[in-house]
Amino acid sequence: MEGMLEFNSNQEQVPALAESYEVSEDGLTYTFKLRKGVKWHDGKDFTAADVVATKNLIMDPKFGAFGQLGWEKITKMETPDPHTVVMTTKERYAPFLNYVGGGTISPKHLIDKGVDSFKQTFGNKPIGTGPYKFVRRQAGQAVDLEKYTEYWGGEPNLDKITYKTVPNDNTLLVQLRTGEVQLSTDVSAIRFQEAKKLPNSEVVLRNSQSWYHLDLKNIDFLTDKLVRQALDYATPSQQIIDRLLKGLAVPSVADQAPGTIYFNPNVKPRPYDLNKAAQLLKEAGFTKGGDGTLQKGSKPFEIEYWIPSGDQQSSQVQQVVAASWRKLGIKVDTRQEAINTIWGPNGYQFTKKMTAARYSWFNGNDPDDAFYWASSQIPKTPTGTGGNLPAYFNKYSFQAEIDKLTAQGVKEVDPEKRKQIYFKIQELLHEEVPVIFMYWPKSIYVAPKKLSGFNPSAYNGLLWNADEWSLQQ
Amino acid sequence: MRTYLIRRLLGAIPLLLGISVVSFAFMQAVPGGPDALFARNGRMSDEQLAAIRQNLGLDQPVHVQYLKWLGGIARGDLGLSYVEFRPVREIIAERIPNTIQLVLAAILISLVLALLSGILQALRQYSAFDHLVSFFSFFGLAMPVFWFGLMLQLLFAIKLGWLPSADKVGLDAGFASYAKHLMLPTITLALGTVAGWSRYVRSSMLEVMRQDYVRTARAKGVRESSIISTHMLKNALIPFVTVVTLDLPFYFTGAVVTETVFSWPGMGRLFFDSLNSRDYPVLMGLLVFSAILIVFFNIIADLLYGYLDPRIKYG
Repeated sequence: MEGMLEFNSNQEQVPALAESYEVSEDGLTYTFKLRKGVKWHDGKDFTAADVVATKNLIMDPKFGAFGQLGWEKITKMETPDPHTVVMTTKERYAPFLNYVGGGTISPKHLIDKGVDSFKQTFGNKPIGTGPYKFVRRQAGQAVDLEKYTEYWGGEPNLDKITYKTVPNDNTLLVQLRTGEVQLSTDVSAIRFQEAKKLPNSEVVLRNSQSWYHLDLKNIDFLTDKLVRQALDYATPSQQIIDRLLKGLAVPSVADQAPGTIYFNPNVKPRPYDLNKAAQLLKEAGFTKGGDGTLQKGSKPFEIEYWIPSGDQQSSQVQQVVAASWRKLGIKVDTRQEAINTIWGPNGYQFTKKMTAARYSWFNGNDPDDAFYWASSQIPKTPTGTGGNLPAYFNKYSFQAEIDKLTAQGVKEVDPEKRKQIYFKIQELLHEEVPVIFMYWPKSIYVAPKKLSGFNPSAYNGLLWNADEWSLQQ
Repeated sequence: MRTYLIRRLLGAIPLLLGISVVSFAFMQAVPGGPDALFARNGRMSDEQLAAIRQNLGLDQPVHVQYLKWLGGIARGDLGLSYVEFRPVREIIAERIPNTIQLVLAAILISLVLALLSGILQALRQYSAFDHLVSFFSFFGLAMPVFWFGLMLQLLFAIKLGWLPSADKVGLDAGFASYAKHLMLPTITLALGTVAGWSRYVRSSMLEVMRQDYVRTARAKGVRESSIISTHMLKNALIPFVTVVTLDLPFYFTGAVVTETVFSWPGMGRLFFDSLNSRDYPVLMGLLVFSAILIVFFNIIADLLYGYLDPRIKYG
């Protein structure tokens, strides 16, 4: 499954099915020059008509695509020759290159058979242009892939790849040891030490795209920036990474992943400093009551701390953070709830109590982060959509500023200027602490020692560079 | 006999309806529901969420959803999976043969071993053999399946390297490979069953041995082997057949742990996966399927009774 462009392991978009692309001065017209001589796995030629057919399929309500993002901005699409596609958009939209440029293109000759037929045939036997072609699906077990000798990037080295799901951690480790499984993604962090001892394998670590944080509902005491900063000082993220996560995470300061081109290296995490936290709370007007509880006026500082249930690591982190906050005199009520409850209409964000909730968001490849912060993303009702949950009752004091910045970020098509906008957003987020940014866990891969060219990317599928893999004898 | 069968089958209908109502209600009672996950998942607009709810039928009141689902069932349509977007019937049908192969192998082994050891134990009550087998029976009953499976993997796949640790292959991979892949999950699944069933055979044989008709047969000089096979075994098997028949349906959906440990693509694993991904239509399909199996095997058990014990009549 390939798009016109693809992401390499540095989050840069590089040519794939398109050899090059151009954006017009006004940022409204995109011209993609498609690669010549590319063939679908069934031997038919790949042309501009496939791109047009893909767009029509995605916009077809009968198809029910999960995301039309980017594609719905197209007002005009032209193919002056079979290897050129010119798209005009109704407004400047920087993530266009990510969603449309990086969108998977499907073959016109299969789309033409109708939506139902496409779902049936394509679902059972997908046809793409990538280095490996689909051979068969073993129900509930594995997918067999075979090298595509006519691949435009040259014939791949490995003859076959079998992709299987192993439902049990223990079984996965056993199979890695016996060699029945040679390469694995998503090895869980508690298996890290065991995986390192595998005789014929090596462990490969990559930063992930998910960020763990503590949502702070923007209500009562928590609307005060000093209080939020104090809680950030009182949250020992680095200690949690070192001791509980055994170093398998990187600290987070805002919402762009370290190592990506949009990450602002000038923003540094606040150190763990309870004295500083206590001092900030004092500045904010808190005093200690008779029983040692922090209070302002006559109202005690009580907070609920929610996490998804069933995750041992989350609950260890919860205990550590809660203990630290209690040292300041804050009353912390720890709760563990099912994930559907947390995000459902009875979730933490829809009660009038002060709450913190720890979970993770997963970033897409585009830095656009309006989903988390913009006022348009505050759910209108408890069952509505939107990721700006903490602002459900009260908008942030810096709401106007972040609304403006996130809107600019989406409109700015110049890469350097765009980067500067997201740098600014990160500085703002770090200053205002709408949520406590904790860490980015690492993704753990196990690969055979004799495999060369393995370079997993958080921004692309596992097989994105499989044509470069080879096994040494 | 025929009227009895028809009556039982008709009686099963309200029972199955009741089961489906309860299962459906339980699914609905889970807070949040499948759309809560979509709502906080990525960049989704209210319009898109509404479209998804409408597509999945979640915008309808619960009783309408249930009746729609029931109407589908009547037409043999179990709905579409939320995760795979394929018909549930197709997904379950793919898994049935895999589970049947595993279950048949395990039942065959269990039957042979349980009958042999149960009979021998009864004939040599309180012998060293009896104590030894009793010890292993309790061991087998007490053993957690996931742990025993892991131990087998460590021994046979890693230490000895004789057998594959998990997965299923088809007969096209050769019979030897097919059988090897079947070996460890079969042993794991059979372990608890052999242990339980051999206790049943042993105790019901012991009971039959003390019956008057056995003594009479001995007194009139019938050969011992014939006493065991006709007089004792056939009578001792009546309760055993019930136990086996009632155990069978649980095998089909109850091999969850074994199928998960050995990556066996059967229905138990499908249940486990669907539960994790909150794929309600698949779960409902599996629940209804297993309810039908249980009812069906109950009827079979009752019919077998009459076959084995001519005194039982169906009125």
